[in-house]
Amino acid sequence: MKYFKKGQIEKIVDRLAEKADVFVPMLRGQQSGFFSWKSYDENYDDLIFDLLNVYSPPKNIVLPQTEKMYNFDQQGQEVIVKPEEIPVEPKVIFGIRSCDVKAIEYLDEVFLTRTFVDEFYKARRDQVTIVANACYNPGTNCFCKSMGVDPLEPEMADVILREVENGYVWEPKTEKGDILTKQIEDLLEEKEVELYELNRFVRKVNYDGVAEKLKDLFDHPMWERYSDPCQTCGICTYMCPTCYCFDVQVKNWGEEGYRFRCWDSCMYREYTQMAGGHNPREATTERFRNRFLHKLQFFNERYGTPLCTGCGRCIVACPAGVDIIRMIELIKEAEPSV
Amino acid sequence: MNYTEQIRQIASRLLESGQVDMVMAWKKGAFDYQSIPYVARSREDIDKIIFDDYCVHNLSASLLRYRDSNEKIGIVVKGCDSRGIVRLLEDNQIRRQRLYIIGIGCSGVLDPLQAMMANSGFSRTKDISGLAAKCANCIQPNPVIYDELVGESQEARGPGNRFERVSEIENMTVEERRTFFEEVFSRCIRCYACRQACVACDCRTCIFEETRPQWVGRETSISDNMMYHMVRSMHMVGRCIDCGECERVCPAGIPLMLINRKLIKEVDRLYGPYEAGMVYVEGQKPPFSVYDEKDPDDFI
Repeated sequence: MKYFKKGQIEKIVDRLAEKADVFVPMLRGQQSGFFSWKSYDENYDDLIFDLLNVYSPPKNIVLPQTEKMYNFDQQGQEVIVKPEEIPVEPKVIFGIRSCDVKAIEYLDEVFLTRTFVDEFYKARRDQVTIVANACYNPGTNCFCKSMGVDPLEPEMADVILREVENGYVWEPKTEKGDILTKQIEDLLEEKEVELYELNRFVRKVNYDGVAEKLKDLFDHPMWERYSDPCQTCGICTYMCPTCYCFDVQVKNWGEEGYRFRCWDSCMYREYTQMAGGHNPREATTERFRNRFLHKLQFFNERYGTPLCTGCGRCIVACPAGVDIIRMIELIKEAEPSV
Repeated sequence: MNYTEQIRQIASRLLESGQVDMVMAWKKGAFDYQSIPYVARSREDIDKIIFDDYCVHNLSASLLRYRDSNEKIGIVVKGCDSRGIVRLLEDNQIRRQRLYIIGIGCSGVLDPLQAMMANSGFSRTKDISGLAAKCANCIQPNPVIYDELVGESQEARGPGNRFERVSEIENMTVEERRTFFEEVFSRCIRCYACRQACVACDCRTCIFEETRPQWVGRETSISDNMMYHMVRSMHMVGRCIDCGECERVCPAGIPLMLINRKLIKEVDRLYGPYEAGMVYVEGQKPPFSVYDEKDPDDFI
């Protein structure tokens, strides 16, 4: 096995950063997320390879919250459109967990398959190499395994890191992974080490049959009850590693400006606001229901999998205690109304 | 603080006699440290109602959901939350007759979000002891408006230092202040949780949802974020009841109460003595919600 000592990790990231923008999990003051190694300040930032996960999901690396699309300039009768250059610097997401790797797999499905390739997403995505950190100790609200994610074998990873006593095993999986391995070869040693076993999950849920069952529950009174605490803020959707909805907006000053896209949330009224003034999802209940139907039914109908990787962030972050595990259980318990 | 039994009894009386159609309270979530807003609508729901130290939420904001209906509502409020009801009454958002207010003399609550975070694996902080941050400078532990009171009357906790941090910011140079606020607002992810948790935010259509014209851009850039927070805070003047929910729910740790406290301080200095929602007098209007021809306009 290829192995390196824990103390070497910064050296490894340093080396990888010679050829790519490396994103590592950090606590930065009040923030917790993947930040560029270039911006790392040892006096302020705290590297958190030892923690379960970062609070803000890494989706912003492939789908930035705000992304310019093109610039325009009107000159007389003519409009000059200048495409926005998408930066093509190679990127490494270093230390990403299985749930978040799976989330990128789902984003790939959305942006790269079914007859349409989103050029903005593709340009960023093509540059990304994934160095995953296998997850041996599920957290209190983790349920990735219940959602079909293997915490120890992130399928799409180019390299898998496995935490062992005092160090990490470096396990290249793809050609991209081999390229990284070559870059750091002198920092790795050959060593047989014992791997940990996966710890018990505190929470689990059975998703079997939920998508099918939901087809008959659209008008069920439960949505009104269960949406009682929901404040319709966007926390659950913005902290979610899989939520990908965006809006296309424009900024202009006089004759010139640019068009950009930015994350949007089905929790917002504006999300479904129509030009004529009608809003099909005016009430909390309707928006709340849509979030769960998209995650647990609609996405499954189109892509054969729920749009949830069991990372548990929405459960931790919801100010009102809305709990997707509990929702799945309640859906299973619900009697279809007549 | 555990008033579960008392509140269940009141709720049961109110629902069974038909005096109210629903009772807004709390129930337990998946963990001991999780209490969740809950609406009991029938006798069967009463056993779910609880009131313990983790009942941190200000339920008065949820009343806005029922402003267009005629249902009668029982609602459990702590001291700070009750000030939210006064604000809603002043703004004609709900009629007093529709409410049965169950007031709690509050000795301070714990924050389930903080506990969830500490137990989640996402945080280095494992300590979940101590009152919710928002309770540290409580000035109103006892309800200012109620139909029935539960629990003992409580002493306020350290109201004197409420503006300490505000003074620190005031004493910064302009440059230092700009740097401080830029860092703070650059973290905002525009999830609007601060607005949604806020009882003072009772506009039917929020300015941030207006599209014709769009007053504030939707980019998460420093300029759009600053604009969002500037407008949000200006709308809080004379309206913030110091319940601290906005800051508590913020997933980016933005010190929203620091800004709100500055507003509380200024509105008191310029138009006071005034503190929002401390007493309900029918027909009384807070500063910035009335127009008078004698208003000074020499600055225009």
